[in-house]
Amino acid sequence: MSINTKIIGRSVPRIDGRDKVTGAAKYTGDIKFPNMLFGKILTSPHAHARIISIDTSAAEALPGVKAVITHKDVPDIKYGISPARWDENIFCIDKVRFVGDKVAAVACTDEETCYKALKLIKVEYEILPAVLDFRKAMDEGMPQIHDEYPKNINVEIHQEFGDIEKAFKEAHLVRTDAFLGNRAYQSPIEPHSATSLWDGDKLTVYSSTQSPHYFQYYIAREFGMDMGNVRVVKPYVGGGFGGKMEPTGLEFAGAVLAKLTGRPVRMFFDRHEMFAHNRGRHAQYMEITTGVTKDGKILGAHSNFMMDGGAYTSLGIATAYYAGALLPLTYEFDHYKFDLFRLYTNLPACGAQRGHGAPQPKYAFESHLDNVATELGMDPMDIRLLNARRPETVTPNDFAIHSCELTQCLTRARIISNWDEKKKEGGMPKGHGIGVSTGSFVSGAGYPIYRTDLPHSAVVIKVNEDGTSATLYTGAPDIGQGSDTVLCQMAAEAMGFHYEKMKIIAADTETCPMDLGAYASRLTLMTGAACKAAGEEIKKSLLEMASSMLHLPPDDLECEDAIIYSKSREGKALTFQEVARKHFVLKGPLIGKGSYTPPKLGGKFKGSPVGTSPAYSFGVQVGEVKIDEETGEIEAVGFWDVHDCGTVVNPRLLHGQVHGALSMGMGESVWEEVLFDDKGKIKNPDLANYRILTALDMPPVESEIVDSYEDIAPWGVKEIGEGSTNPTMGCFSNAIYDAMGVRVYSLPLSYEKVWRALKEKREREQGKKE
Amino acid sequence: MYLPDFDYHSPESIDEALSLLANLGSGAKVLAGGTDLLHKMKQGDLAPKALVSLKGLDKLKGINYVEGRGVVIGALSTQNDILYSEVLAKKYPSVSHAAKKMASNQIRHLGTVGGNIVNAVPSADLPPILIALGASITLVSTSGKREMALEEFFVEPASSVINEGEILTEIVIPDGDLTGSSYHKFGLRRSGALAVVGVAASARVAGGVIEEARIVCASSAPKVIRTPKAEAFLAGKSPAPEVLEELQAIVESEVRPRDSIRGSAEYRRNLAGVLAKRALVDAVESGHGLPAED
Repeated sequence: MSINTKIIGRSVPRIDGRDKVTGAAKYTGDIKFPNMLFGKILTSPHAHARIISIDTSAAEALPGVKAVITHKDVPDIKYGISPARWDENIFCIDKVRFVGDKVAAVACTDEETCYKALKLIKVEYEILPAVLDFRKAMDEGMPQIHDEYPKNINVEIHQEFGDIEKAFKEAHLVRTDAFLGNRAYQSPIEPHSATSLWDGDKLTVYSSTQSPHYFQYYIAREFGMDMGNVRVVKPYVGGGFGGKMEPTGLEFAGAVLAKLTGRPVRMFFDRHEMFAHNRGRHAQYMEITTGVTKDGKILGAHSNFMMDGGAYTSLGIATAYYAGALLPLTYEFDHYKFDLFRLYTNLPACGAQRGHGAPQPKYAFESHLDNVATELGMDPMDIRLLNARRPETVTPNDFAIHSCELTQCLTRARIISNWDEKKKEGGMPKGHGIGVSTGSFVSGAGYPIYRTDLPHSAVVIKVNEDGTSATLYTGAPDIGQGSDTVLCQMAAEAMGFHYEKMKIIAADTETCPMDLGAYASRLTLMTGAACKAAGEEIKKSLLEMASSMLHLPPDDLECEDAIIYSKSREGKALTFQEVARKHFVLKGPLIGKGSYTPPKLGGKFKGSPVGTSPAYSFGVQVGEVKIDEETGEIEAVGFWDVHDCGTVVNPRLLHGQVHGALSMGMGESVWEEVLFDDKGKIKNPDLANYRILTALDMPPVESEIVDSYEDIAPWGVKEIGEGSTNPTMGCFSNAIYDAMGVRVYSLPLSYEKVWRALKEKREREQGKKE
Repeated sequence: MYLPDFDYHSPESIDEALSLLANLGSGAKVLAGGTDLLHKMKQGDLAPKALVSLKGLDKLKGINYVEGRGVVIGALSTQNDILYSEVLAKKYPSVSHAAKKMASNQIRHLGTVGGNIVNAVPSADLPPILIALGASITLVSTSGKREMALEEFFVEPASSVINEGEILTEIVIPDGDLTGSSYHKFGLRRSGALAVVGVAASARVAGGVIEEARIVCASSAPKVIRTPKAEAFLAGKSPAPEVLEELQAIVESEVRPRDSIRGSAEYRRNLAGVLAKRALVDAVESGHGLPAED
């Protein structure tokens, strides 16, 4: 469906492009205040230990040290994503639960003194046995990490929809496969930092955050303050990918240190500390059973998962539900069972990472589906086309799907990747293989991140007095994904104004209306809806003003390209600028307001809110790889991504999201894994041995979108940022299988694992011959 | 992370550097590019009392062909100097190729060939190809100067025969009758990756027959090593498939890799054998290689 828009659908330049390219953009760590101190957090060197004593006297005596704090100096109110799982303190009180757990903090006149001061804090520990393998965390006799959570079970989920027993009984083939995921870390280029300062009872925190509002809520809650006395400001942010979604401790500790010293305090993580704080991808053990008919139609599926949560809940309860809840999105079947344990371990806590709980289960399911197709002698593309979800359907777990062009995506991907030719005998050079995988994701979560009846997004647009520009005030944080740009496009579209004349003030809890934040791929749809409403209110006011100026009824008037004109009488027109100015003179400020709250969504069972969304994106990736048979080296030869993301606001930014998501997904597929030694210490907390991809590793990428329109969304938009990460791991797994006839059942699908699988295959074949 | 406190000396001549080192004794370290040393100091692995910087010693820079000696590489030449050297592009592009595979552009711009050798890490990329080409090095101190074959320099990880107070000044690739050389590196991504294994090969080929060959392996033992049995095996052979298969097996039997974060010993053993075949084929069939592209 094509819609008539002037600004939506255009690749306008990023509103922040010039600042970023010239280096003028200021990130949190660039912000300086007179008299500012520097702060750092002391963390635990042990995976699990009782704190016997903390002696800060030597640190306090060091010249340049202005304050040292421990749990005695901060509130002992636990925090976390939901009241039933509040399990984390600002500083550890009785025990440390992972290498990196927070014990104390210092504020000093310079950074270097901070590092020296940390070394002078004497902490006496009694080392306890640790739980390092999540698959053994529930076993008899394992150490207990939190007293309140027996058997180290953080979250337990058991859901059944339809009748899975019956589905398996009726199936022609019931197959089970098991897969193991990896711990991945978001690795944003900008390290986390927060600068806190007080003015009387009012606290201001500049923070590299994905959600100023959520930070404001938790900071106020921890310190028993009114939210109105806490201001959180997000400067430019260099990527978050889920890792900057919740307060890190830098905000809490910084606030206390700033209060004690009466001076602004800048807190920051170095790269090692980022890895230790973590909140990255959960490693999951995933057992998947599917029953299919002889023709390949899926009758039912059972997901049986375990998840390495690390030492705290973080956002992990949502991750746990997402892991199973999103699996039935791309294929239609009626019977679904989902069991999961999220387990505490003495490792850094895991949280939300691009795609949230979905990408690893998707890897497992898509690999498993290819195994099923192989058993049935079916083409992987055909089995997906046969089962692909259609529009206006409902998943077994009660998610209502409206627009869905998955079939179109599969068909296009098949064509542009030259799938059918390549799948023929000799269709690709030796060592090459091609794989396909699907994905889907929420366009914003249906329910808020903490219990509240506030709208999810709200904006104000103010047209400036002389009508030459308009400013959008939004709580929505641009963390690099480009929301400042697309929201200005949407505001200008709704007003009938020019994008080039838009200004934006964003992600400041004091000057902007609230927004829940940049997570769950929510801004384009949800904040976009608020922008549309605000822009339309402006337009309505302008047309009323113009009506009295032109002596024509308002409904005869329209505003486009900053010109207000009569639909019936040619030549009767005024500029946006003169009408806006007149409005200010006669009626006062020209303001538009908009807010967005999702409709009531989802079923009535326990956990039903997680995974609900007003709209879902769908996508398909096809990847071609080349495997070096002697070394297992994997070269990504080409990738084809076809997406249904509704109406596209800014094509260039959209394709940028696809490329970025693919790069992250590729990293997690083959190259990235956080490794620990037998004491729970990270072995590769740096970018040399934790290998995110370089530009040289990226294959040529063809990114396409299909024609799609989402009725429930402003201008028919849907998400792109996270959904495009979902198919990649499965795509690699399947392409490797196609190339070599071996399946690697654990992530990352490293060169060495591929080499080993090939070696074992050769040995099996030789064994058969002998 | 911050550097510990230390004294910084920037001598203006080699003699001044040598006497500084002699006076400062074991508390001093030589600073060339600093890509390894400063990192170790920031990590707290090293805390020298003093650094003697060679950065101002222009005599240690430059890559030249000297009649009668061969290609003379100043120890302070950066990895990018090697990558972009016209002399090497003409004589031994295989050396430039090895430099190209190192680290990233920013690090290659700072890191020096001398540092790459003196650090004595088993995964260094330049020593294998230099040893394959029979390079020698010059070490100087206040008590004189000595020359030795580069392959005799290494002892074990981070340990070599260099004495306290000695500076590596130059590397010489002698004129010879080798007809080809090549370095194959296996890293886990295309940039910014250390060698899981690296293998250099050189050969003197006449009439399709290998008269002499060298196979030199990095990240395959506690130091960069040659594989004498494989080299002896190759003499008098041509690189037919069955010869290469046997070469792989012999190299695999000669290397002594260990398990590490980048690969198991078993995997590395296999990689050494595979890369030896590939490096040898290149050395036999493609001479010293084509000049590296930018």
